[in-house]
Amino acid sequence: MIKNGRLTPLDLVEAYLARIDTYEPVYQAFNTVLADQARAAAKAAGRRRHTGPLHGIPLAIKDNYWTAGVRTTANSHLFQDFVPPYDATAVARLKANGAIVLGKTQMGPLATTRATTPDGRITTVNAWTPTIPGTDPGGSSTGTATSVAGRLATSGTGTQTGGSITAPSNAQNLTGLKPTMGRVSLAGIIPLSYTRDHPGPLARDARDAAIMLTAMAGEDPADPRTQGLPRVPDLVEAATPVYSGRRLRARWSTRVGVLPGYADGTSATALARQAFLSTVDKIDGVRLVDVPLPDEWDLLTGNAFNNVRLPERSEPFMPYLRADLRGFGVSVTGWLQGALLGANEFVTGQRAKLLLLERVLDQVFERCDVVVQTGPVPFDILGLPEIGFPIGFTAAGVPIGTILGGAPYAEDRLLSVVAAYQAVTDWHWRRPPNPPAATALRSAAPAEDRGRLTADDVVAQMQ
Amino acid sequence: MAPTPPTDAELDVMIRARLASLGIDLDQLPPGTVSDPATGAPGRDSVFASLRSFVRGSVTALAAYQLPAPAGSDPAHAAALSQQPAPMLYPSISSEWRR
Repeated sequence: MIKNGRLTPLDLVEAYLARIDTYEPVYQAFNTVLADQARAAAKAAGRRRHTGPLHGIPLAIKDNYWTAGVRTTANSHLFQDFVPPYDATAVARLKANGAIVLGKTQMGPLATTRATTPDGRITTVNAWTPTIPGTDPGGSSTGTATSVAGRLATSGTGTQTGGSITAPSNAQNLTGLKPTMGRVSLAGIIPLSYTRDHPGPLARDARDAAIMLTAMAGEDPADPRTQGLPRVPDLVEAATPVYSGRRLRARWSTRVGVLPGYADGTSATALARQAFLSTVDKIDGVRLVDVPLPDEWDLLTGNAFNNVRLPERSEPFMPYLRADLRGFGVSVTGWLQGALLGANEFVTGQRAKLLLLERVLDQVFERCDVVVQTGPVPFDILGLPEIGFPIGFTAAGVPIGTILGGAPYAEDRLLSVVAAYQAVTDWHWRRPPNPPAATALRSAAPAEDRGRLTADDVVAQMQ
Repeated sequence: MAPTPPTDAELDVMIRARLASLGIDLDQLPPGTVSDPATGAPGRDSVFASLRSFVRGSVTALAAYQLPAPAGSDPAHAAALSQQPAPMLYPSISSEWRR
């Protein structure tokens, strides 16, 4: 509509700012709202030629992405006054494609858990249950998820180290894409674990996620992790459903791997998973195949081996750990754990990671092209791509999502499967109702009323 | 014979000494188990309990792990064979480059 002149960037931005003005006291999705900057950018976009697929599109940016001249806190005491001198590469690329930054979003302190203040007071609620702070909105990209689900932004950015894009996407009926390690530059993003942090989009559907990732992805001289990789394929085309006549078919013949126990049981989640499998199985060109769990799966993806990431957490923060432990607030324990894991165990963990990857490639991806996931962590350990998307609701109206994992650099394949699924389902079209005005007033009370996470809670939920 | 596992008190000394050797002073945290009201940082005793559990769990499990020898190889060679897989920080990238 913007490209055709039927909608101006300023009108679109004003519409989102109006919703933020009305509902942000309930959702508490943002750290900082950049109303004046967004209006100025929208006016400039209205005067400019079309600059890209995101021209005039208002986005929410997670508050661990550096933004030039705008406070970037990672929701931590440590960075409460940090104003970066330049944009993170991913933010700069979104802007270069025409995007407008509406604000910075609430997140788990230093990306460790669901969004709270640095001292643990719960802030952001699930947009589907705004009066029930106990309903997990997913973390740590909580604020981005709530802002998109609550229609305070069109799409947004997240980072994932242990499920922080797919979990909030699943919790709030969104499509979140964690790309392969290196697809998107991490330059200018406050680190959590440098081998596992993945920047990516949280969007309404596969096509929006593809547009976002296309803008964000690519080689960056400032990040060696992005260099020398296969080219970024046409993700938008991949996320466009394909028809033979009027009949939907898979863009590529695709074997969907199903892990043991994925859809077992009678819980709402199990029933939604069964329905999801039944639906994709009916798409021309899609075939379900049973795949085994790789050898030693539980051990190699379990807590101890996942904790190999923790020294990556402590090492870049040593000056902060020496200066003021209390500055880490409720999140400090993970950083101290990392300082206790010796190099000997760290190297063993790296050997095990390669073994796990070889088993996933040999024992899973020899049999299928994409594979269901029962949790995000195994593919976070390996840096492999994952996409979370909606597949139903509980009886209480809380979204249910699922995750598909892909082979290295197979974001296009993941998007194609989800786009085909979303062409024959409408879960992704569903929207939460607006919070009632009376609720808005009540929820504008201090965040203390929403509960508080302790340091032990953070360790238990740590990303 | 395997060494005797450390007691809580011994582990506390080790944890405090290890962190002090890095320049980290756990006395920055409030004493006991009550969190600092201003920052939410946990009490020192709570942190010690969590760190002891981490050392006994993750550190011990990782240290004890020996990579399996390939199927069909002589078990007598298991230790030597387990040294061969290279540690890789970025397995996705390294694996793609091998294809």
